[in-house]
Amino acid sequence: MLSEEYLVQQAINGNQAAFTQLYNQNFDRIHRYIFIKVRDRAQAEDLTQDVFIRALESINTYKWRDLPFAAWLFKIAHNRVIDHVRKQSKEKRAPLEEAYARSVEDPIQMTERDYEVYQLKLALEQLPEAQRDVATLRFIGQLSIAEVAKTLGKSEGTVKALQFNATASLRKALYGKFDV
Amino acid sequence: MSRNLDDIFNECYERIRFGESLESVLRSYPQYRSQLEPLLRTTFDIGRRASFIQPRPEFRHWARVRFESAMQYPQRQQEPVRRETQAASMWLRHGWAVIVSAGIVLMLGVGSTMAASSQAMPTDPLYALKPLTEDVQRAFAVSPDRKAQFETDIANIRAAELQAMADAGNAQEAAKAAQRYDDQFEKAVQAILATEGTEPIVTRPPVATPVTTPTPVTPTPVVTPPVEVPTPVVTSTDNGTAGENAATENTTQSGTATPPAVPVTSENTTPPDTPAVTTGTGEQPTAVTEEQPAVTEEQPATTTSGSTQSSKAQELRDRLNRQKSTVEQSLKDAREKASHQDKSNWQDTIDKVSKKTATRTTSEQSDSSNQTTIQTDNKTVPNTGSDKNRPSSSNRHR
Repeated sequence: MLSEEYLVQQAINGNQAAFTQLYNQNFDRIHRYIFIKVRDRAQAEDLTQDVFIRALESINTYKWRDLPFAAWLFKIAHNRVIDHVRKQSKEKRAPLEEAYARSVEDPIQMTERDYEVYQLKLALEQLPEAQRDVATLRFIGQLSIAEVAKTLGKSEGTVKALQFNATASLRKALYGKFDV
Repeated sequence: MSRNLDDIFNECYERIRFGESLESVLRSYPQYRSQLEPLLRTTFDIGRRASFIQPRPEFRHWARVRFESAMQYPQRQQEPVRRETQAASMWLRHGWAVIVSAGIVLMLGVGSTMAASSQAMPTDPLYALKPLTEDVQRAFAVSPDRKAQFETDIANIRAAELQAMADAGNAQEAAKAAQRYDDQFEKAVQAILATEGTEPIVTRPPVATPVTTPTPVTPTPVVTPPVEVPTPVVTSTDNGTAGENAATENTTQSGTATPPAVPVTSENTTPPDTPAVTTGTGEQPTAVTEEQPAVTEEQPATTTSGSTQSSKAQELRDRLNRQKSTVEQSLKDAREKASHQDKSNWQDTIDKVSKKTATRTTSEQSDSSNQTTIQTDNKTVPNTGSDKNRPSSSNRHR
């Protein structure tokens, strides 16, 4: 298997196959990350496509030594989500429960998996922003501590502390108890 | 303690991510087992729930198609910029079309307005543009000939305006038109003189001018020459009252003034070249003007017939004079038709036109005839110089 750094270099040189492989490696988790962060599926899909198109447009400006490619992609996604949320906040914003309920005709008909995802979104929504960003990148985006630190511009120690506290908060939110 | 637990928790989570079992990890830190186990189970649960988030198959397909299209046609990514460029060029094209159209409309409007103003009379609203139009045309009249021709044409236009106001019986506008006609007449005369200024006749030979030569009063009566000597002699004196009539009479009789072939004064106290006028009555010829030979208006044309420019100048002069006569006649007709109170106004206008134009015509002709005389007869008639002492045409023909 080719290393990510090699693939990135090939993609910078115009190798479409290399870029396609990078796309395949990161598509699902970028979509997952965005899906958790935004209100509904359609918005998540639009933003996911937008992230990869932007990455394609600006691949020539990317430098590996500054940021790992996955972290670079998540940084694009993170910024796009922030822009999207700001745009949404200017509009009349319904609570997450209402938005989720409107997106589905009958919550009872939701599958068990969808409901569990819905609970996860609610739990993440209750976290402070710094913890939410770390938890999303770390547990949803599956980035390493170093990648999360570079993506958010924080130190690894800070990220570890935020990760620990976020996990404890999520446990309380998901299960109603905090036993740490 | 807390920081250490952060590191331990992170280490345990990483080990689980890479396939190690929860029990194996917890065995590494038995003292933190109670704290780490629920947190690590929570991360398991979060990962499990997150794994449920999968893109829809159709979205995955279309997103891939779009991404590959973007890779194959990278120029498409410049499409928004190109679209803006195209829009800008389209606007520029339309903008140029608008500008050109506006320019054409403006030129047509200005041209038609100027054309309309050229026919305007003083009472028309467009008359204010008429001088502007003429100024533009005047700028293109560069050479003296063209300038003289143009100024004469404009003078005739002013005369036609004055005539129209006279025909309309508008005394107030006629007075203004008379002033404009007078100004333009001046310009035309100057322009005509400028064309003649290029003639070689400006090089006048130096001649002795007896004008300022005083004639001493002598008690001795002048001996009257025989009548057979028809040559009148023109003498200048410092006063011209007593013998003026006699002098002018003799001049008129002779027709031309020539220097005396034979001095007729027996006791000539004047310089030798100073002619003396003798009268049959024995009066002292004190009032002798520097009478020029009786030069008629036609003389310059005849004397400068060899010069094309002079003939053109004369032609322009004739046009001015003819138009002046027509204007005067129109003003007189208007005066006849006018009421008793307005007659004086019309008479003022007539006087203004007649006086000024006649004066200029005379002076112009005098100047021209003077030059002509110098050119043709400078051997026999000295230049008398000053225009002040020249008699008016009425005096000459008296």
